[in-house]
Amino acid sequence: MKLLFCTDGSDWTQEAASPACLLASLTADAVDVLIVGSPGESAEAIQKTIAPPFEALREQGISIDFIWREGKLKTQAVKEAKARSYDMLAIGSRGRRGLRRLLLGSVAAYVIRHASISTLILKGQPCAFKRFLICSAVGPTSEKTIHFAGRLARSMGASVTLIHVMSQIPLTDEAEMSHLTAEAQDLIENRSREGLHLSRMLDLLAEEGTKARAIVRHGLVIDEIIDEAQEEAFDLLVLGAHTTPGLRSRLIDDLAEQALLQANMPVLVVR
Amino acid sequence: MAKKEVGKDTRPGWKRIGLGILAVVLFILSVEVMKSGAGGLTPLLRDHLTVDNAIDSLGFGWLMAYGILSGSPVAAVALALLSSGGLTSAQTFTMITGSRLGASFVVLGLGFIYVLRGHERKTALTTGVLSFLVTVPIQLLTVPVGLTLLRLEWAGTIKWTWLVGFSTTVNSVTDPLTTLLKSYLPEWILFVLGVGMISLSFRWFDQALPDFELKGTGLTQIPRLVYRPTIMFLLGMVATTLTLSVSISLGLLVPLSTRGYIRRENLIPYILGANITTMIDTLVAGILLGDPHAMTIVVAHMIGAVIVSLPIVILFYRAYERIISRLQIWITQRKRNFAIFLGALFFIPIVLLLT
Repeated sequence: MKLLFCTDGSDWTQEAASPACLLASLTADAVDVLIVGSPGESAEAIQKTIAPPFEALREQGISIDFIWREGKLKTQAVKEAKARSYDMLAIGSRGRRGLRRLLLGSVAAYVIRHASISTLILKGQPCAFKRFLICSAVGPTSEKTIHFAGRLARSMGASVTLIHVMSQIPLTDEAEMSHLTAEAQDLIENRSREGLHLSRMLDLLAEEGTKARAIVRHGLVIDEIIDEAQEEAFDLLVLGAHTTPGLRSRLIDDLAEQALLQANMPVLVVR
Repeated sequence: MAKKEVGKDTRPGWKRIGLGILAVVLFILSVEVMKSGAGGLTPLLRDHLTVDNAIDSLGFGWLMAYGILSGSPVAAVALALLSSGGLTSAQTFTMITGSRLGASFVVLGLGFIYVLRGHERKTALTTGVLSFLVTVPIQLLTVPVGLTLLRLEWAGTIKWTWLVGFSTTVNSVTDPLTTLLKSYLPEWILFVLGVGMISLSFRWFDQALPDFELKGTGLTQIPRLVYRPTIMFLLGMVATTLTLSVSISLGLLVPLSTRGYIRRENLIPYILGANITTMIDTLVAGILLGDPHAMTIVVAHMIGAVIVSLPIVILFYRAYERIISRLQIWITQRKRNFAIFLGALFFIPIVLLLT
């Protein structure tokens, strides 16, 4: 796997270097470190502070390259990810919330929205990436997410929990409420729509060499995902990216961005 | 032989059009009949029901909507009472608010009937409880906002001059009938007759509408299931404008629900949007009455609802959704909780009326 790590030398992007190196040491063959600065700023000075953990990777036989660009971190990161063939982009998160986020925006959210490859947002306490929580939505994009996260989990020796949130409101007399309150195992045994989906996703994970368990929660989608991730102290939250094209993308909500905002752990958005 | 789809209205197109025309004619007549009889109700409101202030009229509108299982006729009644001098502007405004609160009980009431017929409690009641929980805070917050709007000078600057001409034309057609009825019936009976006619006209209008579906809009084809709150808010507004009925516009979502696509995340902003444009029929009643004051009150009500709803949808939606969703789960979780909720639905408007 080839990883692109992006930094502008600020504290919050440098803090992400250690977890990115830990992940790279277990999964990557090559890492490019994109350093973005203002015109006139010294590339060497930033590289000097950011380089040590990456130099340690080089000693493990992983190819390390440093790339210097001038401009804004968010746009340069997206541009670089598109320009070369990377498997994953990793970047830190400043963690702006509320009015500051509304007014100043978020670099991580911009990268999630615009990057053409899977993006890992490194935030929260340092972790060992040993427990993955993968969010599953019934749809074609889920399979891609499962394959990518499954491969990553296998190479890191991580355990995987697959979560599906049931939040439907029955508007019809014929609606089967039992499905809306059932546990994962019951849904799988009853071969309901969601049960068949979970069963298929578990099979895909098994094909990737990762043993996983499925759970179902009931309530508001993003709240339940975040609650599960925090209650069970997962190391990584994995979601599929917002891939609906054109005008339709304006109609649907971006769960990845909401998860990024609320989660206090690394978030991987698979594309 | 083709199978008849269960629950699907197979009424031919020409019958629907005919019923629709009849509904509109009956609606126009009923507004005029109510207007003629409203004067006779003033002593009843003031002396017997003691509807003296805006809180009384809130409770009155709320309970009246329970009584006739619909909010729209009650809102039209409020306007007719305003025109006859039976209610003040503030009382009319809060009676309209009460009518909306009572109307959201209808969806819940239907669910309750399903429970009595042996259906699973949560399934039958969830939508109704949610509809009520979304409507109540919005409508109650609309009261201070709308009343403030009415006190501001802009309300007086709207002249609605075209209304007088329109109303005169309508009156010239309906006057012979109302004069005839007036000569035989006492005013209060005339008013009750008008309420009955307007309720029937809404029922006919509901039956005349074709079976709308969201197929073809592209919404059902979207693979990811959580639509943006703003989109669902606008959709709720548009669907309710087109159908003039919250229960029908909610019914539009049934095909999505059967496919497991309707989530709490979708339904809450949809109901918020529907709450604004549900006043369209009241606006039409105001036009028919030809009373600029009535029109101003309805417009203030709609603007008030927009002022209250928009910040929720744009700025605080997640927090609002969380609170409403938790309340809904608490209410439908146990029989005792639901009984407390149901008790409050009757206790509060009765207390309001008696204060």
